[in-house]
Amino acid sequence: MKELQRFGYPIFFVVMALLPHLLNSRWQAVSITFLIFAVVALSQDIILGKSGMFNMGQAMFFGMGAYITAILNAQYGWPMLATVPLAILIPALFGILLAGPIVHLRGDYLLVVTIGFNIVFVQVVQNNLGGITGGPNGIFGLDSLSLFNWPLDSQVAVYYFAFAVLLLTLWVMHNLEKSKAGRALHYLREDQLAAESIGINTRVYKIFAFGLGAGIAGLAGTVFAVQYSAVSPEAFEFIQSVLFFSIVIVGGSSIPGVLIGVFVMFVLPEIFREFATWRFFIFGFAMIAAMILRPRGIIPATFGKIPKFLIKDSNHG
Amino acid sequence: MDTFLQQLANGLTIGSMFALVALGYTMVYGVMRLINFAHGDMVAASAFVGLTIYTQVMGQATSLGAVIIIFLLSAVAMAIVGVILERLAYRPLREAPRLSAVVSALGASLVIQNGIMLIWGPRMRIFPELVPQVYWDLGGVVISLIQVIILVLSLVLMVTLYLFVEKTRIGAAIRASSIDQDAARLMGINVNKIIALIFIIGSSLGAVGGLFIGLYYRGITFNMGWQYGLYAFIAAIIGGIGNIPGAMLGGMLLGLFNAFIAGYVSSTWADAFTFILLILILIVRPTGILGERVAEKV
Repeated sequence: MKELQRFGYPIFFVVMALLPHLLNSRWQAVSITFLIFAVVALSQDIILGKSGMFNMGQAMFFGMGAYITAILNAQYGWPMLATVPLAILIPALFGILLAGPIVHLRGDYLLVVTIGFNIVFVQVVQNNLGGITGGPNGIFGLDSLSLFNWPLDSQVAVYYFAFAVLLLTLWVMHNLEKSKAGRALHYLREDQLAAESIGINTRVYKIFAFGLGAGIAGLAGTVFAVQYSAVSPEAFEFIQSVLFFSIVIVGGSSIPGVLIGVFVMFVLPEIFREFATWRFFIFGFAMIAAMILRPRGIIPATFGKIPKFLIKDSNHG
Repeated sequence: MDTFLQQLANGLTIGSMFALVALGYTMVYGVMRLINFAHGDMVAASAFVGLTIYTQVMGQATSLGAVIIIFLLSAVAMAIVGVILERLAYRPLREAPRLSAVVSALGASLVIQNGIMLIWGPRMRIFPELVPQVYWDLGGVVISLIQVIILVLSLVLMVTLYLFVEKTRIGAAIRASSIDQDAARLMGINVNKIIALIFIIGSSLGAVGGLFIGLYYRGITFNMGWQYGLYAFIAAIIGGIGNIPGAMLGGMLLGLFNAFIAGYVSSTWADAFTFILLILILIVRPTGILGERVAEKV
């Protein structure tokens, strides 16, 4: 793990920074998709992996951010980048408000309620509530990226925007792990009762995790709207939430594990296009096999600097 | 008043299908504490298996005997799939972290759902008309023979299951395993066999539910399992998951609720209202209507 941090991350960052100049436009688009879904999967990791809350509705926050960007751009003429603050704040606010009444629910109940949120969200945008979501077709023809009237409409610019968002997310997660909030979340995932008895306000920290994860997913939504210059309900369906959920658990809720999961789930199908109809059939088997062979995920997350031999094999259930 | 009675009849029909499927979820959850996400897809698979048995094996016969054979063969086929599923995807993960089993269940769901797509194709198929189209007009309320069959057969199956679980020795073993697996094992109960039995019962009831869905809605698609499965699972939660009468009650309540929403409000908002109902029930009674108030296992 130490080796990975010393060499793996710098190599990863350098390769990712050079990548758009090595690829043609189709693979640039695939790389942007990878970056966007990596950010969403990491935001899901904050709620599910770091805090242990069974959230299966992450696509809702992702979609909310995308729709806020699309609506502000298409209806009110805001430049794409100007929508970023609201595309973070509104999903974060929704995350806090929706989590408030439900975080006390036991694991599986929370899972079903968050599925419910996701389905209600898709139904709301499909039924064109308030006449601003564009119904089943969504909203298309959005502006391209620009900074103070300086157009950034090349795909490489979008790539670097997405890459900057991923770096920001990784920085937030790195800081979270070293912060008081990160330790509190870790303890409450390990043992909620023990966390409460040492004075951690578990309710506040659970809602905090939901708000943070929702805000980051919302930001990824903006990048999505920029990349496709369109949003539509089916991009944020419950199946997407299932994929993000599976990526985090199969990856082991560690950053390299989640990135590998996103690569396998969203980039490999682009390489093996002739197997497109077999995609989910194969992934289904892969998910079962991965869990049987490595029940804690491909690269299990570690926390803090405690030497391995001191840690009892605890159950992250 | 006519709308009310008509939706009451429709709601009871839909509700009994939900209840049959919900029983599979609730029995598995009761013993294994696992949401069997693949159950909904097995319900969908059953409708397709029934279709193939009808066309390939029975030569499109619709006599009473042929229909009974279609039901029995589909139920047996799904029971076998259920046992294989448990053996391959769930048993190796019984001691693993709970989320691993959830992901394995999701994987199994994807395998079955896309297996249906690869075998029968992605397009909607029309389920055969196994039951003659007979309608009775009872003073403005129209009831079909299919509705009566679904309602009566579901009730018979549910009462039989209830008596089996409450009154027989094997039923007592099922109840014991769901309260405490380790204690049950110490009492000489073979928990592995009980779990296999639960998958046999749950899957064959789900298979009947799938055939009912085909008979009632006619159009069957490879991905319909998630939709019906999710509703059935909500029914199980509303009734109190792990509780067999709760699943029946929850299914009926959810069916009636859906029918009245469709009749009086709008069917385009049915999902939203269903989940709002679920969230409200969980806020008031976090373990469902008939669920026992248990403290979180630490």
